[in-house]
Amino acid sequence: MRNKRIQILFALLVVALLIVACSPAQPAATTAVKATDAVAEVPTDKPAPAEKVQVRWFVGLGAGSDEGTFAPQKAFVEEYNASQDEIELMLEIVDNDVAYDTLSTQIAAGNAPDIVGPIGVRGRDSFKGAWLDLAPLIAENNYDLSDYDPALVKFYLIQEQGQLGIPFGIFPSFILYNQDLFEEAGLNLPPAKYGEKYVMPDGSEVEWNMDTLRDVGMMLTFDSNGNDAKTDGFDSTKITQFGFMNQFTDPRGIGTFFGSGSLVADDGKTAQIPDAWNAAWKWTYDGYWKDWFIPNGAYGGADFLQGPGGPFSSGNLAMIHIHTWYVAPWALGEVKFDWNLAATPSYNGTVTSKMHADTFCIPKGSKDPKSAFKVLTYMLSKEHATSLLSIYGGMPARLSLQGDYFASYTETNFPDKDDINWDVAVAGMAFADNPNHESWMPSFQETTDKYNEFWNKWSNTAGLDIDAEFEQLRVALQAIFDAALA
Amino acid sequence: MSLTSKLHALRPQKKFKTKISSLQKKEALWGLFFLTPWIIGFIGLYFFPMVASFVFSLLEFNPTVPDQAAYIGFDNWRRALFEDPEVGLSFLRTIRFSAISLPIGLAFALFLAVLLNSKNVLGSQLYRTLFYMPSMIPLVATVLIWNGVLNEQTGWINIIIQNLTGIQAVGSTGLRWLADPQLVYLAYTMFGLWGVGPAMIIFLAGLQGVPTELYEAAEIDGASWFQRLGKITLPMITPVILYQLILNVIGSLQYFLAPFVLNRGTGFPEGMTRFYMVYFFKQSFTFQNMGYGATLAWIMFIVGIILTVILFGTAKYWVFYAAEDKE
Repeated sequence: MRNKRIQILFALLVVALLIVACSPAQPAATTAVKATDAVAEVPTDKPAPAEKVQVRWFVGLGAGSDEGTFAPQKAFVEEYNASQDEIELMLEIVDNDVAYDTLSTQIAAGNAPDIVGPIGVRGRDSFKGAWLDLAPLIAENNYDLSDYDPALVKFYLIQEQGQLGIPFGIFPSFILYNQDLFEEAGLNLPPAKYGEKYVMPDGSEVEWNMDTLRDVGMMLTFDSNGNDAKTDGFDSTKITQFGFMNQFTDPRGIGTFFGSGSLVADDGKTAQIPDAWNAAWKWTYDGYWKDWFIPNGAYGGADFLQGPGGPFSSGNLAMIHIHTWYVAPWALGEVKFDWNLAATPSYNGTVTSKMHADTFCIPKGSKDPKSAFKVLTYMLSKEHATSLLSIYGGMPARLSLQGDYFASYTETNFPDKDDINWDVAVAGMAFADNPNHESWMPSFQETTDKYNEFWNKWSNTAGLDIDAEFEQLRVALQAIFDAALA
Repeated sequence: MSLTSKLHALRPQKKFKTKISSLQKKEALWGLFFLTPWIIGFIGLYFFPMVASFVFSLLEFNPTVPDQAAYIGFDNWRRALFEDPEVGLSFLRTIRFSAISLPIGLAFALFLAVLLNSKNVLGSQLYRTLFYMPSMIPLVATVLIWNGVLNEQTGWINIIIQNLTGIQAVGSTGLRWLADPQLVYLAYTMFGLWGVGPAMIIFLAGLQGVPTELYEAAEIDGASWFQRLGKITLPMITPVILYQLILNVIGSLQYFLAPFVLNRGTGFPEGMTRFYMVYFFKQSFTFQNMGYGATLAWIMFIVGIILTVILFGTAKYWVFYAAEDKE
């Protein structure tokens, strides 16, 4: 009898466990922020009232995942939610390192967010085919595009995919330099304008090109004995300060420093290494292992280059090539040295200043694209775009906002610095890369993975037959392209 | 009659019944009832996903654009087995790493277990706890800790080596444990040694199960410590060694976490850490080739089964079960 009671008790327990296990989860309406493997998430404060439509905004593929941007982005969301009572905007910030995997998992699981961005060309093309064509929504809402450069609108019109975005922010690039290190080395500052010459220590004026950049970079690279990289006694095993690096970019970005190009030929299926990239990569490889003015892989992990905003903000790196999104307090970090912006050097008489252009996309898997588009129009509006751009450090794509943008940006973000040479950033737009260095390639992620693997090897290994390495990379890329296009 | 023969004789003999009583039927039904959740779980969480993954392996399937999925027959299988060199390379890397880490890991666990099983070790309970403790730290944290310990600039291993030997171990020209293709497998093996606790405990249990009278008889016969180890201890714990071997072989085939945590599966340095499971993950979830990824998963499943069968097949030649007679 006792056994039977125990059996019944067990049976009830099992049934209860099954019921609990099989019962549906709480409806999403009760959670403010979806659980993801986000490194950082900023939930909205209040749970959404049941009648509000929820729109999820995914940040992480481009700007916006630096910790300093969390609070202002959250404030923007709160302001939006307070401005109307139809939509509850929910912010999901994911660290850039895991954002690609997180988003692809969400889309694959049928849990796609409603808005993704800011998103650059790389982010967009990494999810080719996953974005909604906005053209019908633009037409349905009579959305006014007249405030944008038509060429920039067309930039987001992708063949066979449609109008994937509306222009939002532009991020030109330039040389960012540590003024204190130039002064300590007794060197003249790099040119503040395109076309200006560089004045060498002996007073001679030379073209501001890649050879000059290398020479100046070497004169700004020092070992622990105080010898610069042009001195005979220079000890390359004890470097304490470097002259230059292409910070926060990949081999395509480094290649584009010398000229626009693509790893895929115009036929869309043949792997190639553009001549300018070949030269840029050799120049960089020599910079790692022969001229010593660029930190190689081994030095990349050195303590003296670990600043709050990467190597440049450590104060031990004299120059970097970078975009406007870096010139923000949360990206650059609190630095104790003076800095400014200079012109990108030329290669073979031509300047190429690579450009990032960000927008927001709506995934095809969005559960409510119409509401997502409503939020999008708010974000891109003349009244509110500047608030977001101020967070991300981009130039407005809206022509009407470009006039005094940098003056207000400086006032907001660098109130104590009134000499930032923004003119060179604006002028750099004339030298934007075309094709863009982040543009599409077959099997985008796999190709990216492969060239990064090669680059890791080059930046960590001295004495390679670099031409043979380039050829090996080309062959490896061709194999990926062939498999992707078969 | 030997001890094993005696034990064999004492084993209960099988009883054959032609009729099942109503009580037994009832018990059988209750047994099935209690098994039902597991069976449902198995069907829902293992069987159907396995069938689905096989179907995926016949598709070109990008989960971010599911509407573009297309049936391609066995093209993914052909690509994996004959056309994609990275499959073979990643598998070879896995085997190479296993060939280094597996024997070292097993030998180290056995070494610790033998030491801790010694009557001459004072405070063996404390040592058991201490050796087991690192296993309680999550593996991700372990990997990150070792990443710091092996850092070429600030890691204390390099600092100690340099201070003790005078060799230039610290700095960009020093010992780059995680960046040097010659050293990286050794470094990853060191991570693994930290998690040797569970294997050590299982070996210890096996050692403690060896009848003491065997040692006493051997001592009387004048056998040395090494002779006792080789002739009694190791043969008697061969079932445990087999068990550990199978677990470790399967674990090695699934090796993923350390390279993924350290370098996001980039294979750094020089592709050396792009092990098979890393490549599988990249194909499936980063490159979004879910169909191809499913194929890679099936290939690894088949390889795992083959290796397990081989190990079990060889067991009759070297594994000694105390309760069995060996003719």
